[in-house]
Amino acid sequence: MSHQRVENFMPVRILLVDDHPIVRQGLRTLLQGRGDWEVVGEASDGVEAVDKVESLRPDVVVLDVTMPRMNGLEACRLIQQKRKNSGPEVLFVTQHDSPQMMREALDAGARGYVVKSNAARDLLEAVESVSQHRIFTALARIPEVPS
Amino acid sequence: MKLRILLADDHEIVRRGLCALLQKHEGWEICGEASDGREAVEMAKRLKPDVVIVDIGMPSLNGLDTTRQLMQHDPQFKVIVLTITDSDQVIREALDAGARGFVLKSDAARDLVSAVEALQSKRMFFTPRVNDLVLAGFLDKGHVVARNEPPNLPTLTVREREITQLLAEGKSSKEVASLLNLSTKTVETHRSNIMRKLSLHSIRDLVVYAIKNNIIQIQMPTQMSAPTETTVA
Repeated sequence: MSHQRVENFMPVRILLVDDHPIVRQGLRTLLQGRGDWEVVGEASDGVEAVDKVESLRPDVVVLDVTMPRMNGLEACRLIQQKRKNSGPEVLFVTQHDSPQMMREALDAGARGYVVKSNAARDLLEAVESVSQHRIFTALARIPEVPS
Repeated sequence: MKLRILLADDHEIVRRGLCALLQKHEGWEICGEASDGREAVEMAKRLKPDVVIVDIGMPSLNGLDTTRQLMQHDPQFKVIVLTITDSDQVIREALDAGARGFVLKSDAARDLVSAVEALQSKRMFFTPRVNDLVLAGFLDKGHVVARNEPPNLPTLTVREREITQLLAEGKSSKEVASLLNLSTKTVETHRSNIMRKLSLHSIRDLVVYAIKNNIIQIQMPTQMSAPTETTVA
């Protein structure tokens, strides 16, 4: 359990990280349907994401890969290093529809990986899964999960 | 009467964001959403929106060719092009295609409402960089001459550009024929003409040509295991 959240009683706190505000707005809109989830903040790059994880203590970080200043993979590694055992779960939402990138994301400590073109279909299920510490991965073109 | 807006972007997540942004504006409504250029053209003809917002990098028919087709059908269409880059070439092509607005995707949350308002008032909306380029065109005679030079795709018809994109995306002649309601033989003829006009010899050449000329866009590779300060586009 992350950050003293009492599962099933407190809302899942979510941090959205993407360099495009319009994408963050789209993610927000998708997540709005769940009353038991709360978007607690937004960040536009990896540096800001790492800072906001410290200050906002989210349960789930929805993270883009390709961002200025610090990319999502590096941010994910830093988040995991800084907050060992008590850190948030990281879910990547990225345009990179590649098994190599997915492997890299999981190696960096992410719990989930969703391709942006399918985010509208996969996001809710992915957040649900990672918030319960289960792995969720879905590529658009290649369905198999790397072993 | 409400201003009716048609949105075209292949990413539903982006359309959701754009909808949320534009629907906050009183007096505007989203009359339709398209996930590629071909669908956008079909919907625009049917719905006759006041403003069409098109992403430049859509599959099947890109935003520039979508704009060209719309303007060819009805020059009164008001099109805003959403783009991830404002390179000179893309700006020129968007202007040549007939776009009346040009907004960077990264700035859409800030600029898109202003752009729609501008078109609503029968004005145009461009990023500062586009304004600079247009102004330079007026001030610098050489620049004007450059704009009057033949564009990068001088000899391709609208249909040939469509087919170029589909072939470059990996579709077979048969698949292209099916998509465009043409016979395979017609597509093969177009294909031969395209290769001849552009002096290309293989599909690989065609793909390279399509990338270089913004007909298709490729995903920028992100350096895996990147160092902390790596900036990726």
